[in-house]
Amino acid sequence: MTAPMATAAPPASGRLGNYAGGLTRLVAFAVDIAASWGIFTLGVAGLTFAISLVTGKQVNLASRQIIALVAIIIWEFLYFSYQWSLGGRTIGMALLGIRVVATEGDPITPRQAVVRTLTLPLSFLLFGLGFIGILLNKDRHALHDRLARTVVVYSWDARAARLRWLAKQEPATPA
Amino acid sequence: MPGANRMEQLVESIAERVVNLVLDAIDINAIVSKVDVDGLIDRVDVEKIIERVDVDKIVSRVDVEAIIERVDVQRIIQRVDIDSLVEQTELGTIIAHSTSGVASEVLDVVRAQGVGLDDFVARWINRILRRSSDDWPAGPAKLIAPVPIVVPILETAG
Repeated sequence: MTAPMATAAPPASGRLGNYAGGLTRLVAFAVDIAASWGIFTLGVAGLTFAISLVTGKQVNLASRQIIALVAIIIWEFLYFSYQWSLGGRTIGMALLGIRVVATEGDPITPRQAVVRTLTLPLSFLLFGLGFIGILLNKDRHALHDRLARTVVVYSWDARAARLRWLAKQEPATPA
Repeated sequence: MPGANRMEQLVESIAERVVNLVLDAIDINAIVSKVDVDGLIDRVDVEKIIERVDVDKIVSRVDVEAIIERVDVQRIIQRVDIDSLVEQTELGTIIAHSTSGVASEVLDVVRAQGVGLDDFVARWINRILRRSSDDWPAGPAKLIAPVPIVVPILETAG
């Protein structure tokens, strides 16, 4: 068994299904951006190598900026919309224990996933004012959430995590 | 015989009248207050009564399924102090063996920190805006609403 980590206990109350907070969503988004860029870079490197292997010529995709931009936009669209439509969560969201659901709590539909992905850039406009609702609204709606009729909730059971944390501690000796 | 019937009716009416007069004259409450109920109970052989009761027959008439369905298990579970249970018993070790893993532990830590920071930020925003979020919904209705408990109507045994 691994040594217990010296950390604070997870929250005592379960958060499963509660509206997720802004910081968790921000970190999840940052992880997603890093993951999508990492996968994209690896893909481009692999593609460049394959082309040079087949044609025998060195191809530099970085010099074709328009193509690179279009490829990135398509890739980001596929990255988010596919994962959201599949299970309501991306890699970053899965790591942080959150997921996207419909406003009433039903699983997100593929149409909602596509709308959410397409309207996500709108939330960045005007210095990211579209995200302010996450901090101020009672249902923590961002602009793209409102347009796609979705909300982000915790899919992580804090109570189960607390039990695991307690289980790692030394059992109390009876008096 | 008509004569005998008339005589019988006369006797019945007289008896009825006499009984009513006697009952009116008696103070039932006074009599009851003089009865030593404790003494009576002491004289009852409860063990003998219990021996005569067919418990199996009574149990067979009880609808256990209906009783179980009426029990609010969620409320009972919420009242159990699972934290202390895990802390003070070997249950903790069992859970640790079944769920140990560095990855899950790290994830728990990261997520717990995230939830803590989310709460911290939300508290401060509410404090700055001078508002209370106590009556706000914690999440979507279908995800946080308690599971409805169906209470069956018990049929009385005929």
